[in-house]
Amino acid sequence: MDTFHNCSRPRSLIVTKVLRYWSLFLLFFGVLWAQPKDPYIGSQACRGCHLVQTQDFFRNAHTKADRGCEGCHGPGRAHVNGGGKKDAIIAFSTLTPKKSLDTCLQCHSKDMSRANIRRSSHTQSEVVCANCHSIHKSATPKYLLAHQQKDLCYTCHTDVKAQFSMPFKHRVNEGTVQCSDCHNPHGAPASNWRMGQRPRMQQHAQSNEQSCVQCHADKRGPFLFEHAALRVDGCNSCHAPHGSANPRLLNRPVVFTLCLECHNGAAGFGRTGEGIPTQSGSHNMADPRYQNCTACHVKIHGSNADARFLR
Amino acid sequence: MRLLLASFLLTATLAAQPLIAPTPQRAGDAKGEDLADYNIVNSFETGYRFRVVEGNLGKFRSDVNYGNGIRLLGSHLTVNSKKPGTGKYFDEIVLSTQGLGNDPYQFSSLRVSKAKLYRYDSTWRWMDYFNPALTIASGQHLINTSRQLQDHDLVILPQARFRVLLGYSRNQQDGPAFSTLQFPDGRGDEFTYLLNVRRTRNEYRLGTEFEVLKTKFHVLHGWEYFRDDTRAPLVSPGAGANPNDTATLSQFRRDEPNHGQAPYWRVGLHNEAFKSFTIDARFTNSTGQRRFVSDELALGTGRFSAAQNRQVFVGGNARRPVTTGNLTLSWFPLERLTITNHTALYNTRMEGEATYGEINNAVAGLKLLQFQYLGIRTFANLTDANLKLTNWLGLFSGYHFSERRIGSSQFEDLEAPAKLDRIEQTNRLHSGLLGVRLQPAKQLRFSLDGELGRADRPFYTTSEKDYHAVAARAQWKTKRWSLLSKFQTNYNLNSTSLFVHSARTRVASIDGTWSPRGFVTLEAGYGHTHIETVTGLAYFSLGELVENDRGFYRSRLRQTRFGAQINVAKRADIYLGYHRIQDAARLGVALMDQAFPLTYETPLARFSIQLHKKVRWNLGWQYYKYKEKLLTLQDYNAHTGYTSLSWSF
Repeated sequence: MDTFHNCSRPRSLIVTKVLRYWSLFLLFFGVLWAQPKDPYIGSQACRGCHLVQTQDFFRNAHTKADRGCEGCHGPGRAHVNGGGKKDAIIAFSTLTPKKSLDTCLQCHSKDMSRANIRRSSHTQSEVVCANCHSIHKSATPKYLLAHQQKDLCYTCHTDVKAQFSMPFKHRVNEGTVQCSDCHNPHGAPASNWRMGQRPRMQQHAQSNEQSCVQCHADKRGPFLFEHAALRVDGCNSCHAPHGSANPRLLNRPVVFTLCLECHNGAAGFGRTGEGIPTQSGSHNMADPRYQNCTACHVKIHGSNADARFLR
Repeated sequence: MRLLLASFLLTATLAAQPLIAPTPQRAGDAKGEDLADYNIVNSFETGYRFRVVEGNLGKFRSDVNYGNGIRLLGSHLTVNSKKPGTGKYFDEIVLSTQGLGNDPYQFSSLRVSKAKLYRYDSTWRWMDYFNPALTIASGQHLINTSRQLQDHDLVILPQARFRVLLGYSRNQQDGPAFSTLQFPDGRGDEFTYLLNVRRTRNEYRLGTEFEVLKTKFHVLHGWEYFRDDTRAPLVSPGAGANPNDTATLSQFRRDEPNHGQAPYWRVGLHNEAFKSFTIDARFTNSTGQRRFVSDELALGTGRFSAAQNRQVFVGGNARRPVTTGNLTLSWFPLERLTITNHTALYNTRMEGEATYGEINNAVAGLKLLQFQYLGIRTFANLTDANLKLTNWLGLFSGYHFSERRIGSSQFEDLEAPAKLDRIEQTNRLHSGLLGVRLQPAKQLRFSLDGELGRADRPFYTTSEKDYHAVAARAQWKTKRWSLLSKFQTNYNLNSTSLFVHSARTRVASIDGTWSPRGFVTLEAGYGHTHIETVTGLAYFSLGELVENDRGFYRSRLRQTRFGAQINVAKRADIYLGYHRIQDAARLGVALMDQAFPLTYETPLARFSIQLHKKVRWNLGWQYYKYKEKLLTLQDYNAHTGYTSLSWSF
């Protein structure tokens, strides 16, 4: 039956079918031929001219990028075909700060530590990724920083550099404390202390508090009797965290002035609005023994046994 | 090109603060050597440190603390797979250490990773902390402890859409310290007693990051455990601090174990599905809790030589749950305009209860049930706009608003239920920000920022109320020159009808670097920080309440530094530096007129020469001079130095 039908098929039908398949075949390859060439050319092509940048790139974390050099610099075929045409490739030195940030965030936005980078003080001052990170000439294999972290921060924050040279300081210059232990250079959420507006770039401890308690866990509490200053205005109420001429990084050379500046009974302040309580009448500031407040109020950060922090 | 690169690196070296060792120059080839499928770069510096101190050794230990002995001053090792992703167990190892051996500041950092499979990062830090605290408690609060910090983080599938995060941190403080107590009562003498400090904090983390519908999620759960087992063993403290007081303390002991935990959650999301809009949100919650008891025994005699025997028992709980929520919206209506809005909500309450019992001379005395509550709720909304008008002109402006409500109650009473008065207050702060950025030439940048803030009811007399801040910056940077000058001022006025607190800070600095040739780099800088505060005071003196007095504080910090880095014949490096800090404020004329003039200077010199392509010899000297104007009790002069070999294999 089938044989009969095949044999009896009109010749015109066969020709039509062949023409149809042939036209489809031509159309398919025609479309392929008409497609523009792949704009990506591959990292091998970059080596010809950019040998310095590429020969040690196997050490670089960006070597894991899907498209190699073109992952950051964009498609390179036009650049190569144009004989190294500068405007045919993404050169970070020519990008606006926002464009530069956008390019890096294509991959690096997944980390939550960069959630506030668009509103960070650095971005607002047009300090973006390439100002601190050097992809091809980094001084540190980790994080690809242009210099060692402290040197990088000191480049602009010269006043902080001076503070870390004070007699009492956190050991940043000595290498055991880093700026990023307390600060997030990519921007931080609103602070949980003071009024939530300043400071702007301070890293939060994991437990949502000021970064100081990350190391000084004994000051963290919770205590039955909290020294409200810690929670309301933060550690900076009494301490200069970068460096100070005063022991314990205090803001004043002697303790009693620091305490009396708040504990002065001025109306309108404090928990009740009747002022922060003044010292009791048993104190005599003319006597040196009363000038070291923390000699008796030893648990000044908080106590579980005494509302006046005596034990 | 090489010349430029060398001058660039020298500039980077000079930017550091003076610190004599480890030597910045490394031994061996920067390109490393190939071994099997890996490339290895390494440099180790081993040497001997020495010091000679004249004057107050305790203060030197507090400020500098470098000692004598053999050290592994620094080391760097990187091992990289030559074909990334093909390493069998790892593709990358990065290890750097500093001060191992017996330096007071020791550090190590390690990264091990294999592409697409895992990335492990760890840091280990050890710090020796000695502080005589002469000026705040006459040496009665001396601390001689060490602190060890560890952080370990492991990311599994670091390049995948679903990542697993594991982490562990440890913080440990150990060592002896002194503290003080009053005996027999609040009017008694102060006695120094010994403490064995022993505090440990452990934190464990488990989390994930994943992507669903173009939204990236971050979920992390952590468990933080804290133990403070500091003890004051049974001692005989001896004489009190005040010769005129006849009270004695013959025996004293205090145990106050304090254990707690703070489990926490962090959830974050990031969405950038829309080209002109991104959303970031963050929610965190933690519930801190501490359980404590305290047992104190004190035996001695009172003011009139009568025997005193006091025992105190305390036990209870303290809690502090904290919840925060943050939402950041970024909008890009134009290519050159970015508007961000950040909303933050913070809510915490601190509460706890305890029983306090006191037995005096074997007679049950005071017995209290104590309770305290302090609640803080802050709402903040911060809007900022950044406009890049032209390639050389940018503008920035912002409006920030926050409202904080503080609730408070507290009682100490013999019998519950006691009367509990709850007090609440609200404070609002409005602030406006404005900034201009100018870049008239590629090498030249200017920026000017101003902020004005007004708060209606600050909690403390020293809190920000009516404040304004101005900051200006100019930077000129070429391949050979770099010049940066800054000026910054902060004013805060917090006053009511009968009280005033005024604080003013002015900072100005200028820093320059010049590399006239590839082998020479010179650096110089000068900065000053002027702080002036005046605050209304009230205190008791000779039994009389002194009101409407004023406290003054002045600081005139001046910082000067020079540095010169010279490379001789590409083999030897010489560094000469000088750094001086001076507080030039004039001494106060009254008790409440405070200033602390001092001078602190540190010249240094370092020489490093390449003996072989894999060996360098280093030599350095640093001098410290600390001098106070008022007293000479804490002054010291110290010579420190080192000699070392940097080698590579």
